[in-house]
Amino acid sequence: MKTIIGLISGGGDIGRTRVFWIGFGVIVLLFLLYPTQTSAFRVSNVSYYLLNIPLGLGMALLWGYCGVLSFGHVAYFGIAGYTYGVIAGNMTENPLGPLAGVAGGLLASAFIAGIFGYFVFYARVQKWIIPILTLVLTLLLETFLGQTAGYQWRIGSVLLGGYNGMTGIPWFQLGGFVFEGYSFYYLCLFVVLACYFSLRMLVNSNFGQVIVAIREDEVRTELLGYDIRARQWVVFVLSAMLAGLSGLLYVQWGNYITPSQVGLLQAALPVIWAAVGGTTSLLAVVISAFTLNWVTYTLSSQGNQYAMVIIGTLLVVTMLFFPRGIVVMVAERLGRLTTRRTAPSKP
Amino acid sequence: MDVMPLVLSLLYQFGTGAAFLFLAALGLVVILGMMNIINLAHGELMMIGAYTATLTYHAGVPFWLSVILSFFVAAAFGAVLELLIVRRFYGRQLGALVVTWGVSLVLGQGTLLFFGPFLPSIGIPGGSFSYGDFSFSAYWLILVLISLLLILGLWWLYNRTPYGLQAKATMQNADMARSLGVRTPLIYTLTFSLGAGLAGLSGALLAPTVTIAPFMGQQFVAPAFITVVVGGSANVIAGAVASSAILAAVKTPIGMAFGAFSGTVALLLAALIIIRIMPNGISASLQKYFNRRAGGAMR
Repeated sequence: MKTIIGLISGGGDIGRTRVFWIGFGVIVLLFLLYPTQTSAFRVSNVSYYLLNIPLGLGMALLWGYCGVLSFGHVAYFGIAGYTYGVIAGNMTENPLGPLAGVAGGLLASAFIAGIFGYFVFYARVQKWIIPILTLVLTLLLETFLGQTAGYQWRIGSVLLGGYNGMTGIPWFQLGGFVFEGYSFYYLCLFVVLACYFSLRMLVNSNFGQVIVAIREDEVRTELLGYDIRARQWVVFVLSAMLAGLSGLLYVQWGNYITPSQVGLLQAALPVIWAAVGGTTSLLAVVISAFTLNWVTYTLSSQGNQYAMVIIGTLLVVTMLFFPRGIVVMVAERLGRLTTRRTAPSKP
Repeated sequence: MDVMPLVLSLLYQFGTGAAFLFLAALGLVVILGMMNIINLAHGELMMIGAYTATLTYHAGVPFWLSVILSFFVAAAFGAVLELLIVRRFYGRQLGALVVTWGVSLVLGQGTLLFFGPFLPSIGIPGGSFSYGDFSFSAYWLILVLISLLLILGLWWLYNRTPYGLQAKATMQNADMARSLGVRTPLIYTLTFSLGAGLAGLSGALLAPTVTIAPFMGQQFVAPAFITVVVGGSANVIAGAVASSAILAAVKTPIGMAFGAFSGTVALLLAALIIIRIMPNGISASLQKYFNRRAGGAMR
């Protein structure tokens, strides 16, 4: 127990003071109580903002902590979502179907990421090649899924559906209990918290220290005897599985998925969440992923066509003027204020 | 059936495939090779070229003049982009990637809002002729010719002009070049502008063969980046020429047999295998090979 607390409160993320943890607890409590105060429609919207957070966390881990940039993590989001749709859709009579779908989806994204990661990390390609090739992979996946419109494109009884997408994907269920509406909201909240705390422990563990070392200086880390290729590969596969987790929750939320989910516009979003939040902090990315999802969803559901222009401009402005991320810089400013106030009481 | 027309048709397919890849990657390789920056707004610069060509063509400007015009419009745009944004990201490769991606989102969506979902297309000029059972488009043959001319032109620019000399000096050692009186910021602006202009030119040249739409740049993204990745950054022009030839040789037969999508998948697989064998691209391996041969001859 003590080691777990030690790992969670280690130096790998912002927010280590008592004030921070009290605030964190209050916010989690507010999220727990939120469904009692509002309509089912709003709860469903907030579930959507929450379910994208693991994808953002995967980006933060890969880019911020390991120094590897991927522009195509939505590919793993889509692979997991489609796999879940195929497996669970073919096992609608079986209560274990959705569980098999979740396992299959996570395995499928890990498998594709593993093959791809083998080629790029074991070739020790230059830094700029990985984002380019991940982007190409995602574009190809979108093109492939887009042309699967015909009746010949079906797996079992499930149609892939081309640009109309795959519809009628079953809810998630465990032992006959179906997660929809409010229970799905709590499922998303649980997954987000579980991912956040496990990743926070991971980045503070020995493994986490080594991947940060790889980001700082690959050659030096290798000369200390660490196999950097294997570690980069593991982090890549792990972050792909986090993206896959978001994809699974997404298809369970909306019961459908279209190829545009793996398109160029969607591919930009996780990178933007990570950059705006600040890639070197998991919590900052959680905050920015939630907020930006909220903003884009609200804008686009009002039919506002400027959503992508605004988000793109936000990315450019962040990169130009807040290179370490807006949330991280605000948090540091706040941290300095609170430490100054409490400084005398601390040793 | 005669064999000759079939062989010619295969050669034609190969030539046009290679020309397409080369044109799609051209602006990108100039910027990557000289400045070590990946410009993810490349597709949108091609889109700007295609839009300029389409709008001026329909306003009554002759096609070839509108192609030249689109070079200058895209080059001017590139210069502005470099001065305002890209300038701050030299030496930060991943930062430059992300920021140019932001620019590409704004440009694509902005064009959609400003010009609507599509523009009337340009008919393919030049007509076609047939030989045996196959028909050939004269325009695509002209594009192959133009690609060859562009290769020669770039070679001349970098090996025979003062700009080329200063640009190569800046690329090799920017500090040393600056202390010898080269205005390196100007060289960077000119190079980025040249790359952007070439992207615009390619976009305009390819405009008659594609649909003119705000997100048309996306269809060039995959082939252009694969060509650049395979070519590598050691000697970009030679790399781009070699990799467009190799990739076209992979894509042409597979694309003819199984369809265009399989051809593109084959491109990605070929790229993954090639970088696994030659992590720094074809150009680095070629250079090593020639250096070794030159060394052997001296001994």
